[in-house]
Amino acid sequence: MGEDFNTDSMLDMFLYESEQLLENLQNVVLERKDEDCFDETSINEIFRVMHTIKGSSGIMMYENITKIAHKLEDVFYYLRESHPENVPHLELVDHVLEVSDFITAELDKIKEGDTPDGDESSIVADIDKFLTNLKSGITQQGEELPPENTYVAPSQFYVAPTGNESNKYYKMSVYWRSDTQMCNIRAYTAVYSLKEVVEDMQYIPDDIISNESSGDVILKDGFHMLIKCQCSKDELLSTMGETSGMERVEVNECTQQEFEMGFHDHGPEQIVIELEDKEKEPEKKEKKEPAPGDYVIKSKEAGKGKKLAKNQPKQQPKQTYISVSVEKLDSLMDMIGELVISEAVVLQNPDLKVPGLDLTNFQKAAGQLAKITTELQDVIMSMRMMPLTNTFQKMNRIVFDVSRKLGKDIELEVIGENTEVDKNIIEHISDPLMHLVRNSVDHGIESKEERIAAGKSPKGKITLEAKNEGGKVYIIVRDDGKGLNKQALYDKALKNGLIGNRSITDFSEKEIYQFITFAGFSTKEQVTEYSGRGVGMDVVVKNIQAVGGNLEIDSVEGAGSEMIMKIPLTLAIINGIVMQVGKSTFVIETNAVKEFVRIRKDMIVKEPDGEEYIMLRGECFPFIRLNRRYHLEESLTEGEDGIVVVLEHENKYICVFIDKLIAEQEIVVKPIPPYIKKVQGLSGCTQLGDGSIALILDIAGLIAGEERK
Amino acid sequence: MADELLEELEGEEDTQKGKFMTFQIGEECYGLAINYVQEIIGIQPITPVPEVEDYIKGLINIRGKIIPVVDVRIRFKQPSFEYTDRTCIIVIAVKSTVVGLVVDRIAGVITVDEKEIILPPSLSQSTSANRKYVFGLARIEGEVKLLLDPERLIQDEDVSALDGAVSGKDALAEV
Amino acid sequence: MKILLAEDDFASRKFMSNYLGKYGDCDITVDGEEAVDAFLMALEDDEPYDLICLDVMMPVLDGYQALKAIRDIERERGIQGNDGVKIIMTTALNEERNVKKAFEMGCTVYAGKPIDLEKFEMILKKLNLIN
Repeated sequence: MGEDFNTDSMLDMFLYESEQLLENLQNVVLERKDEDCFDETSINEIFRVMHTIKGSSGIMMYENITKIAHKLEDVFYYLRESHPENVPHLELVDHVLEVSDFITAELDKIKEGDTPDGDESSIVADIDKFLTNLKSGITQQGEELPPENTYVAPSQFYVAPTGNESNKYYKMSVYWRSDTQMCNIRAYTAVYSLKEVVEDMQYIPDDIISNESSGDVILKDGFHMLIKCQCSKDELLSTMGETSGMERVEVNECTQQEFEMGFHDHGPEQIVIELEDKEKEPEKKEKKEPAPGDYVIKSKEAGKGKKLAKNQPKQQPKQTYISVSVEKLDSLMDMIGELVISEAVVLQNPDLKVPGLDLTNFQKAAGQLAKITTELQDVIMSMRMMPLTNTFQKMNRIVFDVSRKLGKDIELEVIGENTEVDKNIIEHISDPLMHLVRNSVDHGIESKEERIAAGKSPKGKITLEAKNEGGKVYIIVRDDGKGLNKQALYDKALKNGLIGNRSITDFSEKEIYQFITFAGFSTKEQVTEYSGRGVGMDVVVKNIQAVGGNLEIDSVEGAGSEMIMKIPLTLAIINGIVMQVGKSTFVIETNAVKEFVRIRKDMIVKEPDGEEYIMLRGECFPFIRLNRRYHLEESLTEGEDGIVVVLEHENKYICVFIDKLIAEQEIVVKPIPPYIKKVQGLSGCTQLGDGSIALILDIAGLIAGEERK
Repeated sequence: MADELLEELEGEEDTQKGKFMTFQIGEECYGLAINYVQEIIGIQPITPVPEVEDYIKGLINIRGKIIPVVDVRIRFKQPSFEYTDRTCIIVIAVKSTVVGLVVDRIAGVITVDEKEIILPPSLSQSTSANRKYVFGLARIEGEVKLLLDPERLIQDEDVSALDGAVSGKDALAEV
Repeated sequence: MKILLAEDDFASRKFMSNYLGKYGDCDITVDGEEAVDAFLMALEDDEPYDLICLDVMMPVLDGYQALKAIRDIERERGIQGNDGVKIIMTTALNEERNVKKAFEMGCTVYAGKPIDLEKFEMILKKLNLIN
């Protein structure tokens, strides 16, 4: 998505640094938005940011950015020098954000390869008016104006290359028929004609002019070229034309790296693969400064890359970043899941169950295999995980903008923003999250007057929380606003024909809250700019379901609402214990299992209503017979014949009766197909070594089920 | 049998319009537009999932993909039947939902011109349950085939958004 | 306008000399040493160059060395700051550290190849080399 930063190039550095500066700027501003004015630190910070951007954009010749940054820098210059009082704070905040937005938009254009042609003049004019008022305010206070913030134009400029992205790299191989004469000359002709359109090329064998016997080499091994150009494969082929005797030509795209490496044999390089959108400080300090003389061309031989005087950087271990297509990562993820399953198929193969077989060596090797697969999983999963920090930070701005426009005073609290989540999920929940936050601001939180009348604090609070639990990510938007009115929701759903003729008592509270996610539903009589068009919530839910998650809604009228997004991790591989109940196989996460016990009949306590408990070491635990719970057939019924598993979740304990244990192994958590509506107590399914399907038990669900009764 | 039909399917990919896969359920013969059909497999062990609707028999594993399986007879509120080795599962894809349908046996692929499709009469021999899912009738070789609308089959009031995301009582308890 | 071009690659040389030829007389050198010699010669003849376009990767002396030599000579003769010849480095090397170094050593403009001709012209105007 345009976020490949080769943070060495001048342009990319400029973009990267400017973006960082603007992000800092936005954070500083939003932190201080509720105060009366900016404090000294903030003023200095904002001045510094604008000054830096003014300078760097000047060098890069992006004049509109330079002008607008200069204007804002001017304002903060006066603020810094004169410390005027009664500066209209909110107006100032608006101006800063305006400037930041403008520059961000221009930077985006540059990133995309377009011209930054935004017109800054109207914003500059507005700020100018603000500045004039500021200055007159200063003089009215009887103070002298500080010396002008003179603008020293840059004297050195950097012109970014054009069409950098359109550099293409190819490897081309030409083969001549075995009876062809003088292949080396023919090869030279090909090279010569290609030179018209290519920017750079290398070829092998490279002594085609000087050495006649190179022709034999070419006949045998073919003639190979590495080409850097801007044209397409077809253009290359047609430019080269066909000389007689050419048997076949192969052209394949290659990477810039392969082109740079050339045909030489290089030693193993240390390459660290990192996703480039992980923000890392550019490692400037580790790079050697170029010294004069490094770039003297020592030898220039036909076909070889120019050998420069400076050390070949390839010999030094370098930490480099490679941009990897997300598709490839996705298929890597899928494959690792399949690998885990295959591993199980191999290690638990029925063929191995021959009695009397000595499997010591096999077990050793299997252990090694398991170790490597686990490490592989960890690395791959970590490649895709990113913290939610950025996504949550964006919400800051939204809350600010919307609450300001509606005249509400709202505080945003963020918890668990460092929670890491698969990149894929972040992309899908960004928009839904924005919508939910907007909803809370727009519809959830009441106006100041309403809140005071209701005895609440005039300042509303919205909490964004993220946490990882049981193979799922929970993202919660909580507000202390007016909550949802069940009757109103029911009435509206009825009116819009969304629920047939059912009465309000047919539905549970939570089911009623879910009405707002139906297409075509909206209790807002007035559609606001931000929400209420009735097309929002159902799309939100669809987006969440697209990543296998669901949205839960809870509310207390008058006190607030809670929107909970529950999203399964894209690839959860957990350690689980596989067990049998009747003909069905279940898996429980190893962490949840506290112990296994064989019980005696006298340890079971039966309540008159059918509830059972187990007495274990003086304590009483709820006892669940899965066979009864899930109506499974052919399972053991006598407590003494089977095994009881003691499970724990958040300090609550429960005992589950199973027939027998099968194995402990790693399993790949796959979601139960969304077509099947959610079953309490089941959190997913998996494929076992023998191809059969096992259901994964959700302890929290089981415990909750018991509590309800 | 399933393999031959699959070949027929693949061969006729280009001209799929008007082609229906027909199958037998109980006394009646149904048809389903071919473009929804992904593949046909013989009956395989189905892993039951507890606490689901009666017509959802459970899950099967096809080359690593876990797919829910529906017994169409039960869906049509007809008495269930013993699965024999002629029983087949038709795997259909409706938008992004993939579901397997258990049917008595496959009859074959027929071509039906749009003009030949008759709208189902309001009073028909078919039970009211499956009338919802039938969008038309076609008379081929003296037999009436009931043409099913898979989208309605998959997405019906019973399996609507109301129940889809969260089952109220369960969700309350989960918190 | 008197222009000096130092470029080691034949194709680039042809291109640049054609382009720059529109704005003035263009002298061509093929390595760093020749470029410094040409600069010195012009200075001594009292017909100094207004603009020097230097490639970075050249034989004998590279662009940085030539740049240093030229600025050293100017300093020696008391030619300071804005009075010095305008030097444009042209190169495919676009790394930040290369640009920074070049600026440190006194080049006026660093233009990455392939050259954005629109911006190039803007710069010539900004530097008052053309109207």
